[in-house]
Amino acid sequence: MSITAVEPWVEIPLRKFVEEARTVLGLLLHPSGQVVAQFGFARAVDVMSACALAAAIHASAGELGKQLDGKPFRGLHHPGRDRQLYLAEAATPRGTFIFLTVFDQESSLGLVRLYFDEFCKSLAAAAPAAPRRVEPVIEERFEQELNRNLSALFGRG
Amino acid sequence: MSLVNYATREITCKIVYYGPGRSGKTTNLHYIYGQVPEDRKGKMVSLATQTDRTLFFDFLPLDLGTISGFTTKFQLYTVPGQVYYQTTRKLVLQGADGVVFVADSQARQLEENIESFQDLHANLAEQGIDARAVPLVIQYNKQDLPRDLILTPPELNDALNFRGVPEFGADALHGPGVFETLRSISELVLKRLSQPVR
Repeated sequence: MSITAVEPWVEIPLRKFVEEARTVLGLLLHPSGQVVAQFGFARAVDVMSACALAAAIHASAGELGKQLDGKPFRGLHHPGRDRQLYLAEAATPRGTFIFLTVFDQESSLGLVRLYFDEFCKSLAAAAPAAPRRVEPVIEERFEQELNRNLSALFGRG
Repeated sequence: MSLVNYATREITCKIVYYGPGRSGKTTNLHYIYGQVPEDRKGKMVSLATQTDRTLFFDFLPLDLGTISGFTTKFQLYTVPGQVYYQTTRKLVLQGADGVVFVADSQARQLEENIESFQDLHANLAEQGIDARAVPLVIQYNKQDLPRDLILTPPELNDALNFRGVPEFGADALHGPGVFETLRSISELVLKRLSQPVR
């Protein structure tokens, strides 16, 4: 099992959750659908599609809840034949993230929910203050590389 | 907000294709999907109705290759254009790093274009985003239709492009303008990462 994280502070809580709850995969994403971290067997799902869809489900369930109940619906469990899915929101001082985990018969919804609560607490505790990016990420004259890459992508190279 | 992973040297950006119903947003993504080699694209996900109208969004992940030592990935989304999917559009727009507004060049669609453009600004404002600060490119699609049915890019500019953003005439079904639009929005989005934040 491997871990990939955009923000290193999420690594330990995520790894701990997947190992203790005995799930197949744990994904943490931004509400925009971008992956923040993944741990487990990524082949369980197509990660990028799963994140886009999870963000959509989360956003639409939230909106539906607001319209029906005055507050967003949060938390979703889908029991598949072999694998199950649990989707919920994790609030941290660095903002709200969406958490998606896939599990099979090695785990259970109860176990996932139990460890999810702990995961939320440890994630919130691990969250550092938001850094403010000051320095440029890429070189100022990136256009040449971009144009070359896009031309190659579109078979115009 | 572009995601930058310094550990794996990876940048991920979200681009949203916005515009009125049937203006060609999904067609843009289909054309791109058809052009890009298998190893540089992910699975295209379309949440559509039985008649292939976009219900929630289309999603296409693209690998743009290495730029300044960072593997650069773009996630392209479309919104459903029909007026009654207003709430859904707002959800898809969340966290967009750049927007491509796909306008329908047909003269009879001018009002729909203007309404959708206003809807874009309203949705950005609702999310606390200054529309003038978001990288934006306008595409005037369907420029291949007979001249008497469409407006020219200068005419459409008068109605829509008051910010003077990059604009491109296009025929998304066959390709002209699709690449140029993507190149332009990519450049605007990445330009933000090439500048110091004040």
